[in-house]
Amino acid sequence: MHIVDGALSNPVVIGGAVLAAGGVIRGLKELTMEKVPTAGVLAATFFVASLVNVPIGPSSVHLIMNGLAGLVLGWVAFPALFVGLLLQAVFFGFGGLMVLGVNTLNIALPAVIVGLLFRRWALSPNPKVAMVAGAAAGAGAILLTALMVALVLLASGQEFLTAARLVVLAHLPVMIIEGLICGAAVLLIGRVKPDLFQTLVGVSTLERV
Amino acid sequence: MRRFFSILAGICLIFVLAVTPARAHKVIASAYASGQNLEGEVGFSNGEMAKDTLVEVFDPSGRKLGETQTDGEGFFSFTPTEAVDHLFVADLGAGHVARFTVPISDLPKSLTGGGKVPATATGAPLETPVASRGAIPSAEIAALVSEAVKQEVRPLRREITAYKEKHDIQSILGGLGYILGLVGVVFYLMARRRLSMAP
Repeated sequence: MHIVDGALSNPVVIGGAVLAAGGVIRGLKELTMEKVPTAGVLAATFFVASLVNVPIGPSSVHLIMNGLAGLVLGWVAFPALFVGLLLQAVFFGFGGLMVLGVNTLNIALPAVIVGLLFRRWALSPNPKVAMVAGAAAGAGAILLTALMVALVLLASGQEFLTAARLVVLAHLPVMIIEGLICGAAVLLIGRVKPDLFQTLVGVSTLERV
Repeated sequence: MRRFFSILAGICLIFVLAVTPARAHKVIASAYASGQNLEGEVGFSNGEMAKDTLVEVFDPSGRKLGETQTDGEGFFSFTPTEAVDHLFVADLGAGHVARFTVPISDLPKSLTGGGKVPATATGAPLETPVASRGAIPSAEIAALVSEAVKQEVRPLRREITAYKEKHDIQSILGGLGYILGLVGVVFYLMARRRLSMAP
């Protein structure tokens, strides 16, 4: 969900840019060498996922895949998704350079939040619990993103309920699809490389000490 | 780890291959002079047009010049009355705003005073020899020609817009290449820092 240049009022654009910059700095501080390839792969996934369109109503929405980024990366999702958004704006004209901060905040903050909420359960040795946590993270991140988009539109003068209903309804199919993909991805990680989450978390805390 | 990355890379590749012809929901809009009017269309890049949408027109200083409404196919027409840059704004809701400018040079010639517009003349005041022999008056010919050209050009215009919105595999691979390069740069910086910290 990209907001385009000119749709938002100036205070919202500036506020979004400042908050997003804070998130990116926080993420860069947590970025360790071990996390760099994962961040790159997830930035690439996000960059390409936006081209998968789900036609709905008068418009169409696309996959975002920020839930998985949040689960695996935590705060590092901010710089990773920022890079993805920047490249999307430059290459595809999605969103715009002026509103890059707001878009980064709208997409990366939900990623961080679901990461903090669900990572514990995504690590569960029980594959069912892990999969449900992954699915909840995938769908929850989209829901939060849609709500934030509606909130930002509200702050710029659009009526909240109308905008929120529209944005959330439009993203229902994406929520379902991303829930399934994210759940499957967590299951896959659990089966193929169960220590992916732990290794990354462990290393980052080790380096900080 | 390696297997995980190869699987993720595979997913990415499937996306790349599967989505090449897909277009996103970018807003597209344009306007061009047609006779005395400015005609244009507003819609999404996936081909959906903005139906019955309010289009507002402003001058460069933000003063409202007027407004118009799109029809069922996203087309609108606006009659400019002043020789200034025209800024068109159409709010399609949910963060989609179309915003584009028609500069003075693109306004109808009747307004900018550069050359006469035969189509606006109701009756041809200067009868040409052809017209006096009972053929179609030149003004009517001009109107017919302009209508025919408009019809011919319309699909071309659409095609050009669609072409501009196309995301071909080059730009996708280009973006992925940038990400790969950035990963390399970050690795380089981190390695340097680690080396400089080592005794």
